[in-house]
Amino acid sequence: AYAADESEELAALKRPTNSVEIGVDGVSKKSAKFGEYTGLDKSGAKLIGNFDIRGGNAYDGGGGTTRWSINGRDLGLTSRSAGATISNQGQWTIGIGYDELRHNISDTYQTPLQGVVGGNIFTLPPTFGYVGAQPLAPATVTLDATKLGAFHTVDVGTTRKNTSFNAGYNFNPQLSVQFGYNRLKQSGAKLMGSGTLGTKDVAAGGGTWRAEAISILMNPTNYQTNNIDLALNWIGDKGHLTGSYYSSRFSNGYDRFTWENAYKSGAAVSAPCGFPPCTYQTTTMSTAPNNDFHQLNVSGGYAFSSSTKLAGGISYGRNTQNAAFLTGNLTTVPEIPAAFILPQVSLNGLVVTRHADLKLTHQATKDLALSAGFKLNERDNRSPANIYQYWALNGNGGTVALPAGIDVATNAPYSNKKTELELAGDYRLDKRQSLRLAYVHEKISRWCNGMVLPYSNCVVVPSNSEDRLGLSYRLRTADGVGFNASYTYAARKALFNHDAVTPLAGLNLNVVAVTLPTDVNAQDYPGFAAHIYDSRRQHLLKAAANWQATEKLDLSLTGRYVHDKYDAYLGVQNSRTTGLNLDATYSRAENASYSAYMSWQRSRRDLRSGLSVPANAAANAGPSYAALLASVALNPLSIWSNQLTDNGSAIGIRSKHTGLMNGKLELDGDLSYSFDTTGYATQLQYVSAQCSPTNMTACGALPDIKSRLLTLKLIGSYQLNKSDKLGLGLIHQKLTADDYFYNAYLYGSAPLRIMPTNQQSGSYSANVVAVSYIHTFR
Amino acid sequence: DEARAPAASVGAATAKATPAPAAAGKEAICTKCHDENEPTPLLSFYQTKHGVKGDPRTPTCQTCHGESEKHLKGDPNIKGRPATDVVYKKGAFAASDDKVRAGQCLTCHKGTNRTRWEGGQHDANGVACNDCHKVHQPADKVLSKKAQTEVCFTCHKEQRAQSHKISTHPIDAGKVVCSDCHNPHGSAGPKLLKKATVTETCFTCHAEKRGPFLWEHQPVTEDCANCHTPHGSNISPLLKSRAPFLCQECHDGPHNSKTPYGALSGGFQAVPPGSLAVPNENAAGRGCINCHSMVHGSNHPAGALLHR
Repeated sequence: AYAADESEELAALKRPTNSVEIGVDGVSKKSAKFGEYTGLDKSGAKLIGNFDIRGGNAYDGGGGTTRWSINGRDLGLTSRSAGATISNQGQWTIGIGYDELRHNISDTYQTPLQGVVGGNIFTLPPTFGYVGAQPLAPATVTLDATKLGAFHTVDVGTTRKNTSFNAGYNFNPQLSVQFGYNRLKQSGAKLMGSGTLGTKDVAAGGGTWRAEAISILMNPTNYQTNNIDLALNWIGDKGHLTGSYYSSRFSNGYDRFTWENAYKSGAAVSAPCGFPPCTYQTTTMSTAPNNDFHQLNVSGGYAFSSSTKLAGGISYGRNTQNAAFLTGNLTTVPEIPAAFILPQVSLNGLVVTRHADLKLTHQATKDLALSAGFKLNERDNRSPANIYQYWALNGNGGTVALPAGIDVATNAPYSNKKTELELAGDYRLDKRQSLRLAYVHEKISRWCNGMVLPYSNCVVVPSNSEDRLGLSYRLRTADGVGFNASYTYAARKALFNHDAVTPLAGLNLNVVAVTLPTDVNAQDYPGFAAHIYDSRRQHLLKAAANWQATEKLDLSLTGRYVHDKYDAYLGVQNSRTTGLNLDATYSRAENASYSAYMSWQRSRRDLRSGLSVPANAAANAGPSYAALLASVALNPLSIWSNQLTDNGSAIGIRSKHTGLMNGKLELDGDLSYSFDTTGYATQLQYVSAQCSPTNMTACGALPDIKSRLLTLKLIGSYQLNKSDKLGLGLIHQKLTADDYFYNAYLYGSAPLRIMPTNQQSGSYSANVVAVSYIHTFR
Repeated sequence: DEARAPAASVGAATAKATPAPAAAGKEAICTKCHDENEPTPLLSFYQTKHGVKGDPRTPTCQTCHGESEKHLKGDPNIKGRPATDVVYKKGAFAASDDKVRAGQCLTCHKGTNRTRWEGGQHDANGVACNDCHKVHQPADKVLSKKAQTEVCFTCHKEQRAQSHKISTHPIDAGKVVCSDCHNPHGSAGPKLLKKATVTETCFTCHAEKRGPFLWEHQPVTEDCANCHTPHGSNISPLLKSRAPFLCQECHDGPHNSKTPYGALSGGFQAVPPGSLAVPNENAAGRGCINCHSMVHGSNHPAGALLHR
C-alpha cells in the first residue's frame, strides 16, 4: 500500500531498478594479451549477458527487513561472474558468489612437446631427434625440417574459478557471528623455464656450465585453495572484541611433471635416430606441494574515555607442509646419488606465525592527538634442517670427499621476527592547519633453527634496525584549497655476519670441507651487500595540492620523491623515484562532466658489482672475511656497474553525458594512453677491451623495453521507451610492445642452448563493438 | 557485484538503536523540504541499508547530521538557513572536520574491520568515511568491484597510472580490487593490508607459494614486494626489474651472478653487426630464471639451487 501511493518519481528513488541485458560483442582480432582478464581473447561474436535483480519487503517502506538480490555479469565470456544474496537486515544474511578468469594466456607459444595443457606428462615425437652438439662458437639453434615440423602452437593459459559462500547471524545487538568460505580452483598451465642436461652426462662427472639447456614448459596449475573465515564479534558500549579462525588449505593435483629432453639421448650416445625411434631422457620438475595454514585471531578495542582508546590484536598460526619428496632417479636423469639415503621422506615442515599489535590513541587537548603503537610479527620456521646430496643439473659438484659431480647442501628453514614501535603526535595549529610528527623504530631479526655445521649461520645480515622520522603539514582553506606536504627520513642499519657460510651459496661446498674464506659472505664479492638488507638512508618527500577553483572546476597536483642511498661499497648504490600527477575535473552541468589526468614517473637504480675475486687473493687470504677483504682490496679491475631506468607516463580524458537527444541518450567516453620505458645499461669502467664492438659480451645498453597502450571506450545507452534501452559500446585498444625478452625464444635467434618457442611480445590492435537490449523494471 | 569481504558484515552496525516508528516521524521533518525535487537524489537513501525502516537500528537523518535545531528553526539574522550540525560535503556550507564526520559513523559502526581506524593512515591523513562512501546513493561505488578503483584512485594516482601498465593484477577488469588486499579502515599490517604481513596477504590467493618448502629463497619468506610491485609493472610478471639484473641486486658471487651482462642479454638482435658475442641462457629471456625457475621455493630433494 505504501508503494502504491508513491508517485512514479518517488518510486524511482525508493525502489531499486532491476535490469536484464542481452546482446552481442563482436571482437575484431584474436589476441591473448587483450583477452587476458577480459575474456575477449578470441575473435568473433560473444554473448553479452548481464542481469541485476533486487527485491524484498524492506523496499516497501514498511516494517519489512528482507532484501535479496541476484546478479550476473559477462555471462558469455570466460570472465563471467554471478552472485546472490538474501538477508533479513539486523538478523541474518547469506550470500553466494562465482567468478571466473583466464590469465597467463599465450596464443603464440610453440613447442615440439606433446601433451595436453594442464597435464603433467610431455613427450617428444619419436622422430624428433636430438638437438645435438653445443659448440662455443657464435651460433643459434639449428633445427632441421623434421624438428621444425614437430613444433605446434598451443593455447596456454590458466583458468581461475572462484566460488564463495558467506553468512552472518546476529544473536543480539551485541553478539554476531560471520562465516566465509572461498574456493579458488585453477586449471590449465603457466609457462616456466627449465634447465636440463645438455650433451654431457652428469653421472659421468665433470660437466660444465654450458652443459645446461633451456626448455620452456607448460607447468600445470592444477590447484585448489580452500579458505575459511569464522568470526565471533562482541560489541559493547565501551569495548569490542572479535575472535576468529582462518584456515587456508592448498592442494595440487600433481606432485610433479615430466618431459622428454631433446638435448640428450636416453642412451649413452646421442646417435642419429628417428628410424629406429629416438629414446630421450625423461626429466622431472617438482610442483608446489600441498600445504595448510590455520590461524587463530583475537582483536578488539576499548574506549577508556571519548578521548583515550586502545585497540589491538594477537594471532597464532601454524603453516604445515608434509608432501612426500620425489625420490631421485624416478626418471632417467640422475637427481639423487644412488648411495645417498634421504634423511627423511617428506619435509614435515612447520612454520609458526605470531602476531601482536597494540595502539593507544589519546586526544590530549582539543588540538593535540597522540598515539603510540607496537607491532610484532614472527615467522618461526621449525622445519628440520638436514644435509642433502644431489646431482646438479650440470654435474659440476664438489670434489672433496664425494664422487665427482655430486653436490651437498643443507636446507635453511628461514625464520624472522619484526618488531615495530610507533609514536605520533598530531597538532592542530588552527582550524585549517595541522602538523603531524611521527617516529617509527623497526627491528628485524633473522635466524634458522637446527642448522647443520659447517653452515655457521644461514644469513649474512642477521638483523636490521631502522629509525624513521616524519613531519607532515596539512592545510584546508575555506575557499576549497587543500595542501599536504610531508618529509620522512629513514636510516636503516644492518648488522652483518660476513663470515656466515650460507646454505644456498654452497654450490661447491662439501660438508666435510668448507673452503674459507671464499665461501663466506654468501660467496658474494668482498664488500657486496644485498640491497634489501643493506644499511640505507632514505629521504621521502610528498606533496599534494587540491583546489576547487569554482563550483564546477576541481584541480589537483600531487608529487612524490624518494631517494635511497645504500652504504655497501658493492651492491645497489642508490635509487631515486620521482612522480607527478595532475588531475582536473569540470562539471559543466548536472548532466555533463569531464575529467582529465596526467601521471609521470621516473625511477633510476644504480648498481655496482665485482666480477670475481682474483684467485691469488683468495688463496693468500686468511681464514676470515676480513682477511679476504684486505687481500682483495676491492680490485678496481673487477668492478662493473649497471643502471636501471624506468619511465612511465599516463594520460586520460573522460566524459560523462546524460540526457542527450531529448533525454534519451547516455554516453560515457574514456580515452587513455600510457607509455612505459625500461632500460638497462652496463659499464665495465676499467676493462674496456671487453666492450669492443666485436666482443660485446659484458657491457652496453639493452634495447628499451617499451609498451604503449591506447584505449578508447565509448559506452552508451539509448532509451527506447520507459523500460527498454539499447546498449551500445565501442572499444578500441592498441598495445605496441617492444621487448627484447622474446628475442631469445625466436626461431633463428634463439641461442644454442635454448629451445625456441617463437613467442611474440603480445602487441595487438583490437576493436570491440557491442550491441545489447536492456530491459529495466521495478 | 559488491566487493565482498570474506564474511558478511551483518554485525557491522550495532546498538544505539532508535525505534523505527520514531525514526519515521523524525525523518518527515527533513523530507518535508528535502524531497524528490532535491537536485541530489537524497531519497534513494531508502534503497540503502540505512533506509530499512523495519530494522530497529536504522538511523534517521538527525542521527548522522545532528539535531540541527538552528537549521530547522532558521536564523532570522542570516540569509538562508544555517548549516546542519554536521556537514558531510562541502557545498553551500563548509564540511565539518574529518574527525567529527567519521565520529558520527563510528558511533554505530564499531569494531570488526574498523577496530584499528583510530590512528590508522586514513584517519591520520584527514580522510573521513564519507570521503569514500556515498550513503545516500543506492549503489555505493566503493562497495562495487566494477567501480571501487575509481574511488580509491581519486587520491592514489600513482596506483592508477600503474594499473595501466602491461603487467597488472586484473584491476581494470574489476576482478581484483583494492579491498581484496587492503583494509582502508585500518589494519595491523603494512600499507593497510588486510593481513598482518605482505606474504600472508599474497598467500590468500597465491597459496602455492606459501610452502614451507624444503629449499626456501630467503627474500620470498620475508616480503613478496622485495621483487614484485603489486599495482603494475613494465616487466612481467609484476616485477620490479628483470633477471639477471634483478637477481644481481642481491647476488654477486655464486655461479654467474657476478658476471656483468650488457647488450647481449637482449639476444643477437641487440648486439652490433659484426659482433662475435654469443648470447647465453644465463642472461637472455628469463635470464637466471631460465634454470632457477623455482624461485619461490622447491620441495624437490635435489632442488637446492631452485632448479627442480
